[in-house]
Amino acid sequence: MESEGWLYDGERAVRFEARVAVEGGVLRIDLDDGRSLSVAAADLVHLESRRDCELYGRPDVQGWRLALCGAAPLGAAVRATTGYGRWIDRIGLWKAVAIAIAVSAALLFAADSFPRWVAPYVPASWEKKVGDALVGDFGGRFCHGQGGQQALDKLARELSPAGSRLNVRVVNIKIVNAAALPGGNIVIFDELLREADGPDEVAGVLAHEIAHIQRRHVTQAMIREYSFGALIAALGGSAGSKIGMLDSLHYSRGAEAEADSVAIETLRRADISPIPTARFFDRLGKQEKALGQVGSGLQYLSTHPLSADREQRFRKSAVAGHSYRPALSRDEWQALAGICRSGTKKQ
Amino acid sequence: MNDMGTMAGRDAVPESAFEFTGTWREFLPIALTNLLLTIVTLGIYRFWAKARERRYLWSRTRFIDDSLEWTGTGKEMFIGFVVVMAVLLPVGLGLQFVLQALALRGQALAAALLVFALYGGFFYLIGVARFRALRYRLSRTWWHGIRGGSDDGGWEFGLKYVGKTIAGAILFGLLVPWSMVSLWNDRWNRMSFGQNAFEAHASTDGLFGRWLLIYLVPIIGGVVMMIGFAGAMAGMAGGGDPTMAFGTIVLAVIGFYLAFILVTLSYYALFYRQVAAATSVAGIDFAFTAHTKDWLKLILGNIGLIIVTLGLALMFIGYRNWSFVVRHMEATGTVDLDLLKQSQTRAPGDAEGLADAFDIGAI
Repeated sequence: MESEGWLYDGERAVRFEARVAVEGGVLRIDLDDGRSLSVAAADLVHLESRRDCELYGRPDVQGWRLALCGAAPLGAAVRATTGYGRWIDRIGLWKAVAIAIAVSAALLFAADSFPRWVAPYVPASWEKKVGDALVGDFGGRFCHGQGGQQALDKLARELSPAGSRLNVRVVNIKIVNAAALPGGNIVIFDELLREADGPDEVAGVLAHEIAHIQRRHVTQAMIREYSFGALIAALGGSAGSKIGMLDSLHYSRGAEAEADSVAIETLRRADISPIPTARFFDRLGKQEKALGQVGSGLQYLSTHPLSADREQRFRKSAVAGHSYRPALSRDEWQALAGICRSGTKKQ
Repeated sequence: MNDMGTMAGRDAVPESAFEFTGTWREFLPIALTNLLLTIVTLGIYRFWAKARERRYLWSRTRFIDDSLEWTGTGKEMFIGFVVVMAVLLPVGLGLQFVLQALALRGQALAAALLVFALYGGFFYLIGVARFRALRYRLSRTWWHGIRGGSDDGGWEFGLKYVGKTIAGAILFGLLVPWSMVSLWNDRWNRMSFGQNAFEAHASTDGLFGRWLLIYLVPIIGGVVMMIGFAGAMAGMAGGGDPTMAFGTIVLAVIGFYLAFILVTLSYYALFYRQVAAATSVAGIDFAFTAHTKDWLKLILGNIGLIIVTLGLALMFIGYRNWSFVVRHMEATGTVDLDLLKQSQTRAPGDAEGLADAFDIGAI
C-alpha cells in the first residue's frame, strides 16, 4: 500500500513531498530530494487529523512531522497523543471527573478537620516558643500602670480553670481588639479598655479569649494557616482560593461560637453578669455602622464577626432577678482601666 | 518549492499571510471540559487547560501555507509553577514574620528597608518573568518543523525593566512611551526563530503625541466642567430646572471617562501598530493593523458577552483575544525555507512558572 504525503525533517523548514509505503509495521518514505528512510510505525505518534491528511510525529526527533494524505490512517500501530492530559485520557473523562470530585472533597474535608485532630498533640513547649516570639513582637508596648496587672491577673484567674497558666497583658496600641496567641498568651489592646464601660464587659471579652486557648483554637488556626492554607493558596488559583477562603471563614465562625458558649458558662460559674458583655457588642456594632471598621479602629469586629445572634446569646443567658457580683472592685477597675496611662516602662 | 513567498499581491495567496481558521463551535467543547476539570480539581487542571486551549488556537492559525503547532504541556507548566512557588512562598512567609517582628519592636527604618528590598525584588522578578514567558512560548511554537526560543535567561532584561520603568514613571510619566518601546526592543532582540534572530527597531515617533493626549483630557474635561457648572449655576439662579443641571453634570462626567478610555486605547493601538511594524525575523516583516475602533469592538464585545452569559463567556476571552491578534497580523517578505534551520536554543523547562506566580501575560 503506497500513499502520498509530505515531511518536515526537523532540521530545515523545507517541506519534502513524500511517497510512503507501509509494510510489516515499517514505513518506507521516499522523499523528492532522493533520500529515502525507514521508520517503525511504533515509533510514531498521531498528532492531529487535518482535512485529508493525518499528521504524525516522532518523539525522538523534535520537529519531525509526517503527513499521510488520502490514505487509510496507520491506526492502532501508532500511539495517540494526549487530549485532556495523559491520566485523564487513560481512564476517560467522566471517570476522571468523578475521581477528582472525590479526591477534592476528601482533601477539603481533611483540610478542615486535620488541625482539630492534630492540635491536641502539639507539644506545649513548641506552642510556648511560638507564642513567646509573637508576644515578644509587642516589645516595649506592654503597660505597667500601678495595680493594673494585679487586677487583670485576678480577673484571669477567676475566669480560667484551676491550674491553667495564662499570661494576659495589655498593650498600648490604639485599636479595639483582644487576641489569644499560642502558649497561653492573651493580648488586650488598650483602646478596648477605654471603650469598655466597666469590668464586667472586659470579663466577657477575656472569658472568650481564654476559651480560644482552652479549646486550642489558636493552635488549630496556626496549623491550618501554615499547612493546608498555604498549599491551597499556592495550588488553587481562582477556584481553590475561594474555597479556601470559605473554609477558613466557616472555621472561625464555628470556633467563635464555641468560644462564646464556653465564655457564657465561665461567666455563669464566676457569678458575673453576661448583660454588660452583650451591651458591649451592641455598642461596637452601632459604632461600626456609624463610622465603618477602619474609621473607628474596631479591629475586634473583623476578627470576631458580630451578629445579632451573638449579642442575644449573652443577653439570654442572664438569670432574671439574680444579683451578680461585679467582676472587679471599683479600685481594681480603675487601676486596670488606667494601666497604660500612668506611664509605660520598657521591659 | 524551496523559495516560498508570502505575499501580498501574489495570486494564489490570500491577502494576509496570517489566517485564523477556528470556530467557536469547535472550541466550545474544549472550553467546557476545561472549565469542568478545573473546577473539580480545585484549579490545578488550569495548566492542562491552558495547554489544550493553546494547542487548538495554534493549530487553527495558518501562516502562509501551514498552521502553527503548540507543543507545550500542562505537566511542564504545572511543574514550573510548583518550583517557583516552592522558592517564593517560604521566602514570602519568612519575611512576613521578620517584618512583623521588626515593625512591632519599633525598628521602623529596618522594616521600611526590608519592604523596599522586597518590592524591588518582586519588581525585578516581574521583568524576568515577562521575558521568560515570551521565551517559553516561542520555544513551544513550531512552524514547518522549526521552533523559536532564546538563549538569554532574561536576568539582564529584568534590570532594564526596573530601570526603564522607573525612568519612564518619573517626570509625571512623560517618558512612558519611550520606556515601553525600548523594553519591547530589548526583549524581542533577544528572541529567535530557527537560527534567525528577531530584530526590533521600534521608535517612539508619533507616540508621544498620543500619550500627551491622555494628559490633555483631564485638563479639557476640567475646563468644560467648570464652564458647564458655572452655566448650570447661572441657569438655576435664573430659575432653571435643577434636575436638568444635575443631568448635564452627570453626562459630562460620563463623557469625561469615555474620552479618557478612548484616548488611552488609541495610544495602545498606535503602540502595537508601531512596534509590530518595526519587528522582523528571517526576512519577514510584520505588521499589526488593529486601530482604536477594532480594540474598542474587541473590549466591548468581551464585556458584553461576559455580562450576557453571566460570566460563562470568560472561557472564550483567550480565544477571542488570540483570534483578534491573528486577524490583524500581517507579514510581508520572503522566507527562504532552505535557510530557515532548526533552533539550537535550549528548550527552557521552567515554562511560565514565574509569570504565573505574578499572574502576568507574555505580550
